[in-house]
Amino acid sequence: MLRAALCAGVAWPAAAAAQAPGSALAELASRAELVGTARVEWAFGLSDAESQKLELVLEPELELELPAGLDLTAVGRLRADAFDELEPGAPTQHERSVISRRALVGDRVDLELRELYVEGEVGRALFTLGKQQIVWGRADGLKVLDVVNPQDFREFILPDFDESRIPLWAVNTEVPLGEFALQLVWLPDPTFHDLPEEDALFAFTSPELIPSAPPGVPVTQRSVDRPREFIRDSDAGARLSTSLGGFDLTLNYLWHYDDEPVLFREILAEPTGPRVVVAPGYERTQLVGATFANAFGELTVRGELGFSIDRFFPTEDPADPDGVVRANELDWVLGLDWYGLRETLLSVQLFQTRLSRDPAGMIRDEFATNVTFLARREFRNDRVAAQLACIHGVDHGDGLARARVGFELREGLELFAGLDVFYGSERGVFGEFDHNDRLVVGFEIGL
Amino acid sequence: MRRLAALLAAAALTAAARGEPAPRPEGVEVARRINARDEGRHVSRTARWELVDRQGGRRTRETRVFRKTDAAGKRSVLFFLAPQNLRDTAFLTVDFAEPGREDDQWLYLPAARKVRRVSATDRGESFLGSDLSYEDVKLETQVGLGDYRWTTLGEEEVDGRACLAVEAVPVDEKTARELGYGRVLLSVDAELWMVRRAEYWDPGGRPLKTAHLTDIRLVDGIWTVHRVEVANAVTGHRTILSFHDVDYASPVDDDLFTERALVRGVP
Repeated sequence: MLRAALCAGVAWPAAAAAQAPGSALAELASRAELVGTARVEWAFGLSDAESQKLELVLEPELELELPAGLDLTAVGRLRADAFDELEPGAPTQHERSVISRRALVGDRVDLELRELYVEGEVGRALFTLGKQQIVWGRADGLKVLDVVNPQDFREFILPDFDESRIPLWAVNTEVPLGEFALQLVWLPDPTFHDLPEEDALFAFTSPELIPSAPPGVPVTQRSVDRPREFIRDSDAGARLSTSLGGFDLTLNYLWHYDDEPVLFREILAEPTGPRVVVAPGYERTQLVGATFANAFGELTVRGELGFSIDRFFPTEDPADPDGVVRANELDWVLGLDWYGLRETLLSVQLFQTRLSRDPAGMIRDEFATNVTFLARREFRNDRVAAQLACIHGVDHGDGLARARVGFELREGLELFAGLDVFYGSERGVFGEFDHNDRLVVGFEIGL
Repeated sequence: MRRLAALLAAAALTAAARGEPAPRPEGVEVARRINARDEGRHVSRTARWELVDRQGGRRTRETRVFRKTDAAGKRSVLFFLAPQNLRDTAFLTVDFAEPGREDDQWLYLPAARKVRRVSATDRGESFLGSDLSYEDVKLETQVGLGDYRWTTLGEEEVDGRACLAVEAVPVDEKTARELGYGRVLLSVDAELWMVRRAEYWDPGGRPLKTAHLTDIRLVDGIWTVHRVEVANAVTGHRTILSFHDVDYASPVDDDLFTERALVRGVP
């Protein structure tokens, strides 16, 4: 049936073309809707009193009704930045598969096909075929199970996930099974996290993430060994959802390449002294997880649990043969949302990570704890929205505090201003950006 | 319904002939009749929300709304069509028939691409920044029978129609706080059993808002309000809600009231 539907989709433009050109165009227009947004955003660094970006982002979105109940969605993005601090020069894009790369126009403009997919139903099963975002999990701000798509860390975790998630070419099906819904996904698109290069404003420097060689020891980095086979190196997963006793529940499984590169290390004894050779690569892992959510009066409770089998973590132990330690990782988050005040949401979350092994020299701590806080309130009939958010890393005492206010000036035009403040030890994942505090102002127009 | 009105009129005439005051239905009986009115087992419609501030600044939201009622309760789903910054936001409510069971609510936010479970205790909160509350929107043209003590005050005329003036006072302070209302005065069409006008006071007794329901027409044999104008006495803000493409005849698929449908968007 799906094949027939897809064939019908192919046949339809030909049939339309057989009509008079004017009427075919009118027919097409009547089935299509073109919308979009334009956003201008200026970020000003508070530590160095220099602009971090002055960016224009255009996101056109086309929705087209095809025959046989199929819908086509295409989303593009044009991004132009006057300062080129976030990705200086032309990024290599080696993390992305050829079919998911951006088109770079000089150093300051890039174009990307963000999404292109066809949706349709066969019986009660829903199929989404094409480049898309597949979102799992119930947490805000940090991720446990929302790892089906990799993430662009160009601006660390400051943009909305919708913007920083890298869409992948995928087959996504969802089939109702009585009281359950089964989602099956297949992702033949070996694309991984987009990590900022060394000279970028938000390049990672925390020793929690990037190991360092002893002083005076030269380091050579080999090119990244990345999976390239679209079929053999594809990812696959399943999610089973149901509602039981008022709880929304899911069970999740993902067989995938870890989106973070594994930094394999070799220490060579050379006549001039030791030399460290780093060979980044990507390794398979399996993720098993579950989520829940329920409401109890003014409170909603939500949570996620994820268990990753065979992840690799860097070690500084010089005796370790490849500089990485294989361990399992357990992540969980518990979130509480309180709606007890009018037009206000107060939310707290506790994230914890535990590794199954903690040998000497391992850079990552065996335990890591983060807490988040969010307060959001709407004023003046939702014309004004104010938000305070904080992510605090308990182990290093570092974190990120954010304030934002948005004002809907008139129909479809929002002005916004915000403050992003990193604090704490430079060893921390957040504290490493302590020098990147910024003030943000801008506007967004609905087109 | 017409027969009942005729009987009421006949009773009033008889009473008047005897020089007695006309008998009126008790307030709670009026509320029951409002809720017993046929609203259709299912409906689909487009709702246009015009939000007008004190200075006359106007914002518009367009939504597509589906409702289905069965023995288990009432399910409603709302999809934003416009403006662009709200497009694809969706809201699902399940109002269980089981007495005392709290509603279930889910919100889909396209910026997060996640369906979020939300508390259903925010009955008195503004819906979409409008001057209607979540409870107002959920009840549509019905009333919260158990939330109030009902008293019929008299008769009056609204928009040229004979109406009963009914006072509704929340049963307790907690309910008043939840609803955001300390008193409601309803003008109920005595033939159609529909509210034509409502005045609201806050729990502190201050005038809060007025609602005027007009353009009442038959659609698929069901009397249907097509325009609701609410004026907030405190903020000067107004909401004009108009309904289009109202359809009680076409079936509404059960699959619309699922998380998957929220993510997929308006059918």
